[in-house]
Amino acid sequence: MKDFRLFDITDFVLDEDFIRWVHEKKEEDETFWNNWLRQHPGKHLVIAEARRILESLKTAESPIPDHVVTYEVDRLMQTIRDQHEPTRLTARRRHIWRYAAAAAIAIILTVAGVKYIPFSGKPSTFKVSYASLTAERRLIEKVNTSNTPVHLSLPDGSSIELAPQSRISYAKNFDSVGTRDIYLSGEAFFDVARMPNRPFRVFANNIVTKVLGTSFSIRSFEADTTIQVIVRTGKVSVFTYNENPGKTAADAVSNPDEVILAPNQRLVYEKAAQKFQKVLLENPVMTLSAEADRNMVYDEAPIDKVFDAIAKAYDITIVYDTELLQHCTVTADLRHEPFYRKLDLVCRAIGASYEVIDGQVVIQAGGCD
Amino acid sequence: MKEGLSQQEVSWLQQLQQNSEQALAMLMRHYYADLFNYAARFARDESVIKDCIQEVFISLWQRRETAGTILSLRYYLLRAVKNKVLKALYYNDRKTGLDYFRGDYDFFHEFSIERIIIEKQISEENAEKLKRTLEQLTKRQKEVIYLKFYQHLDHGQIAELMSVSRQSVYNLLHETIQKLRSLWHTAFITR
Repeated sequence: MKDFRLFDITDFVLDEDFIRWVHEKKEEDETFWNNWLRQHPGKHLVIAEARRILESLKTAESPIPDHVVTYEVDRLMQTIRDQHEPTRLTARRRHIWRYAAAAAIAIILTVAGVKYIPFSGKPSTFKVSYASLTAERRLIEKVNTSNTPVHLSLPDGSSIELAPQSRISYAKNFDSVGTRDIYLSGEAFFDVARMPNRPFRVFANNIVTKVLGTSFSIRSFEADTTIQVIVRTGKVSVFTYNENPGKTAADAVSNPDEVILAPNQRLVYEKAAQKFQKVLLENPVMTLSAEADRNMVYDEAPIDKVFDAIAKAYDITIVYDTELLQHCTVTADLRHEPFYRKLDLVCRAIGASYEVIDGQVVIQAGGCD
Repeated sequence: MKEGLSQQEVSWLQQLQQNSEQALAMLMRHYYADLFNYAARFARDESVIKDCIQEVFISLWQRRETAGTILSLRYYLLRAVKNKVLKALYYNDRKTGLDYFRGDYDFFHEFSIERIIIEKQISEENAEKLKRTLEQLTKRQKEVIYLKFYQHLDHGQIAELMSVSRQSVYNLLHETIQKLRSLWHTAFITR
């Protein structure tokens, strides 16, 4: 129970009961507050001030004519009736349609849920190009002028699948210095040999992708407005690189703004806005062996076990309230289902929904009894 | 019963889960003005607003089976409308697009000072002061005030809807109240 005696002006202004009295002037509220004021005559001034503040904040609200609302309601009814399928076909057709809707939602949410990681410091108008990165450096260059991807081997044992119209270059002593640096223009898939004390770095325009041993692809054509990095295995770190006179590429070692990218995540860097955006792939692939999938049959299994298994299989973080969902169980056969379908089935079983935010899946649910 | 849902809303949602078009129609009728007025604070174009509200109710209908997961209908609808409208406004605009994720969008909000002048008979001088004070509020302060005093959302919902912390919601409200307190304190008129 609230003790209004302890309230100051601000407390009153923010109190729902007080607001209702001032706004709606209901009789029961009038009675309550008049009685209260009679019992606490010293509070008249505080109440009057709080009322005045609330009244000052009145809004000019234009009413919506009834016929407009009616027209809009009719329009909605028309739309949803048009969407109805003929009765006989329902079972199967509805099923597919709902699945399509779920997939569409997943994609839209991927866009809606993105979080931008703004860069601290002055945004630089510097455009780092392949030419400026490689100028005045004695480098070995490989160019793919054909129409098919070309397979290349690097001195350190790493391999590269170089897309058409793409080029890479690297120093002669590539594998004997502190970092293994590659300069890229275009698109390439990298399968990096593991060398824990020699980070492998790819410079693609303004961004640097740093890995220890993993496979990933980068798309960075000069003409594109974005640079994209996709991770297949392992984890990579990506950060921006602004060319600085007197500073060599080797100086760009650490960066507080780096973004860690996990498998099944795609990083999109908008060149113009200089912003990173992390999204999940539209159809994530399993990072564990197929055996993990074969075990995904559940009978009254606790929800954390199910989410853990999915998260591990795809190396995708699933965020949920463990306490809230502790009594939820799932009975489902998730084998051979794609990632989003699995999520969809589990969520439906526990009456939950999910959003993809910043490359992670966030479960929203009310809990189970 | 879930917190934040009235008896009426719970019943509409239950009917909705049972495929009642009637419940959907009643829901739209009930919330239309509030949703329209909120959307009108981001967008000037009425047809954009109306289309966005249509889409919000169409998706509510499409996900009616999971309507039971909605904890607050008002919050759900306001958030959906805001997202739709902002996306419609900014999505195709490469220059300013996507800035709205960082809270950088317009919020057109007018206070009805004329009404308070008539109702409370305050002096022209004080009315002028009040007007200036309210005009100086930031877009985000106006949005918080609107969501708190007109849509009656709680601080947690306001924070989520505006992608800020609960503390910032409180701070934004507090600053506004402080400004008005000092204004009325110096020019207090007894009735």
